[in-house]
Amino acid sequence: MRASWVRALWTTDHKQVARQYLWGGLGFLLLGGLLALLIRWQWAWPGQPVPGLAWALPESRGALTPPTYTVLFTLHGLVMIFFAVTPLLFGALGHFVLPLAIGARGFAFPRLSAAGFWAYAVGGALVLASFAVRLGPASAGWTSYPPLATPAFTPGVGQTLMTVAILCVGVSAFSYGLNFVVTVVRCRAPGMTWGRMPLVVWGLFYGAVLNVLFVPVLAAATLLLLLDRVAGTQFFIAGAAAVGGGGDPIVYQHLFWLFGHPEVYILILPAWGMVGDFVAYFSRKPAHGYRLTAGAMGAVTAMSGLVYAHHLFTSGLSPVLGRAFMVLTLLISLPAEVMFLNWLMTLWRGSVRLTSPMLAALATMVVFGLGGITGLALGAVATDVPLHGTMWVVGHFHLTMGAASFLAVFAGLYFWFPKMYGRALHEGLAKAHVLASAVLFVGVFGGQLAAGYAGQLRRLYDPYQYTYLKHLLPLNQWTTGCAFLLGAAQLLFVGNLVWTLWRGRAAEPNPWSVGTLEWTCATSPPAPDNYATEPVVLRGPHVLSQPDVQQQLGRDWIGQAEAAVLGGTE
Amino acid sequence: MGGVVGGEARVTPDLSPARLILSESTPAPQPVPSEAGGAGPVHQTPVRSAPPANAVTPRMSEQARAWTLSPPEGASTYGPRIDALLERSHVFEAGLAAVMLAWLVLAVWRFRGARPVVAANGGTRRSRAWVLGLAVCVFVGVDGTLFLGSERYARDVLWNLEVPANDPRTVRLELNAHQWSWEARYAGEDGRFGTPDDVVTWNDLRVPVGVPVWVQLVSTDVVHGFSLPAFRVKLDAIPGRVNQTWFQAAREGTFEVACYQHCGTSHYRMRGLLTVLSEADYARWLHEAGRLATQSYDADDAAAHWGWEWRAP
Repeated sequence: MRASWVRALWTTDHKQVARQYLWGGLGFLLLGGLLALLIRWQWAWPGQPVPGLAWALPESRGALTPPTYTVLFTLHGLVMIFFAVTPLLFGALGHFVLPLAIGARGFAFPRLSAAGFWAYAVGGALVLASFAVRLGPASAGWTSYPPLATPAFTPGVGQTLMTVAILCVGVSAFSYGLNFVVTVVRCRAPGMTWGRMPLVVWGLFYGAVLNVLFVPVLAAATLLLLLDRVAGTQFFIAGAAAVGGGGDPIVYQHLFWLFGHPEVYILILPAWGMVGDFVAYFSRKPAHGYRLTAGAMGAVTAMSGLVYAHHLFTSGLSPVLGRAFMVLTLLISLPAEVMFLNWLMTLWRGSVRLTSPMLAALATMVVFGLGGITGLALGAVATDVPLHGTMWVVGHFHLTMGAASFLAVFAGLYFWFPKMYGRALHEGLAKAHVLASAVLFVGVFGGQLAAGYAGQLRRLYDPYQYTYLKHLLPLNQWTTGCAFLLGAAQLLFVGNLVWTLWRGRAAEPNPWSVGTLEWTCATSPPAPDNYATEPVVLRGPHVLSQPDVQQQLGRDWIGQAEAAVLGGTE
Repeated sequence: MGGVVGGEARVTPDLSPARLILSESTPAPQPVPSEAGGAGPVHQTPVRSAPPANAVTPRMSEQARAWTLSPPEGASTYGPRIDALLERSHVFEAGLAAVMLAWLVLAVWRFRGARPVVAANGGTRRSRAWVLGLAVCVFVGVDGTLFLGSERYARDVLWNLEVPANDPRTVRLELNAHQWSWEARYAGEDGRFGTPDDVVTWNDLRVPVGVPVWVQLVSTDVVHGFSLPAFRVKLDAIPGRVNQTWFQAAREGTFEVACYQHCGTSHYRMRGLLTVLSEADYARWLHEAGRLATQSYDADDAAAHWGWEWRAP
């Protein structure tokens, strides 16, 4: 008999693992967000002391110094991507929803999901520990380009700890990727055909496939970089007068982006799936072109590893490669357009209900649409040149993998929280939070797009060193104002969460009136084995507002496994 | 005919394949007079033998520009082609964004709580065909424009090193990026690198107006990014390889050189100046600087001899 604290920490129940990831992810989201606010402070009031930060930076009386600043943007990127967004999308929502949504009793490899969480936790602990070491945490940018990321230029232990931490989250991401893929392929309930899976399962499945394929590439690059750091190898150190050596830094860039570009799809695929489902649920209508949407997501997944070198258009890429990657990059926008139009068509002639998950899904659509549109110019060689490395890029990818991914996380949380904890969140607070966040996201990242178009380069401690950027100060102050408001708006979420866990009313069994398995065949929260009897699936996830159902059952939805004498409601 | 590109109106003749052939067979585009500098008025800086360290060509309506979504003021012969392409694609993008938002808002407003009209599969064969057709139309229109414009620019300018290679007036520039400065080497009047009259400057590039400037770029420590915002030029400086690009100044003035790749603590201070001089002033400066360099040449100072034999494209 194990001690109770061991059972609480080492759990193979996917719902418990999901809760662990949820709290870990939210914690790191808070950290990453605070780091972002400090960066924004610096661009609005460069070199001015940050109120309340004197305890952490006594030598500068709370003002950010150039070395501190490099740490801030490095950690912000790494923490958000590896420790907040992916853990929330895959770790929390994915772990919770995936087995339930396909009618499984759990994952194919329950112990692997527990081990994956602990790999993530160790990585997170290393990140936190790196704040305490001499020379501070990592500072070579989230991309950790060598030779900058080698000890010759970034000697601190913090950079090494971060390299190991990335390997840890890599282990975690690979293991849940594998687990998700095998579970979807092998553990679907009887009758749960591929064509009857909710779109969110498709999104998680595709994202998991990309994890399995491309996280090992990141792990390889990071491992070689680690060897360069600790074992004196020179994989990525070349020809430099200062260091000598026979490797090649550009190899790292290719390996990194071969992972890095699929990673942005990893961060958005589950979001696309949720949007597809929620738009259908809350238009009370089957998803328009379900197969087209699932197919489009699959096309993006298939192409995601073939577009990465648009990140390297200015690296001296040969024209042959430049052309090829330009064509492939532009091509990937086609399936995204099909999917987006399907969402819009789902709304059309539906019966739209603006619940909090729906509002968040619509907001995700808007910010993702804006992010996608602003990325077009970055995919073509000529127009990439003036925008490359500017705040335009920052605004673009924050709209997609920042704003869209987080709004989708909130959409998912608002939708499944009653199922996760058996309590209902306050709907008004949730809606206010979603609306405020969406508007402010557009404000912050729209301001960054404008600054980037005017030429402001990324990662500048003091952009106003440059005469041609001096006039951007008021714009940046406005953007920073939006960012602080955005941070404040998250209190609506925190307050709602804390209040609901403490005093919230019990959730209704099927608050959103949908037919998916988790809402129709399981209790809230579900029992350890999810389903008392294995559900036998009879129909797709969005059988809504069908006349024969309405006639027979007197409601506009029917459970995926609900036995009824119906014809033609596939 | 030739490389005269001043704005959208003049893009067309330049895109013809004839220009390419021309630039390969005859000495290159003629220098472009000041009219090619884009929309704004041309600022002539007074002729000086040494520009003051902090003087950058003044621009108009400083604060207002931040809110207008406009790129840095241009000074390049070919930059206006990128700007025009970007502007055109922004029009498309704004259109797309407007349609998307309008459709979404209209759908939510019109169908909020409405009686749903439902096909069994959420759509019909016809509605799905519409989705596919619309997506293909948008793709062909928007992505097609970007691709063609981009491809033409890359073929004519960005990847076309024939232009500087075939122009006898071309200025060759070896650039060594390091933490945190730009070290430039000119061949001097003898036109050969690695001779005593090589001129070396720090964070101070000088080029003649209307003449192709051919840059070969290296780094001796970490990855840097060489950018000339006013010239729409960006290129990585990567240890272990020589990257190259070229540009041509459309007007005289002083502009900034900026590093766009995070290269360490003082990345933000890796700033240089680029002064565009008249051809005569440039020749005078190069002569004088070459004379001084020859005088102070020290054959034993190995660290100062970092140049290389010019590499053919």
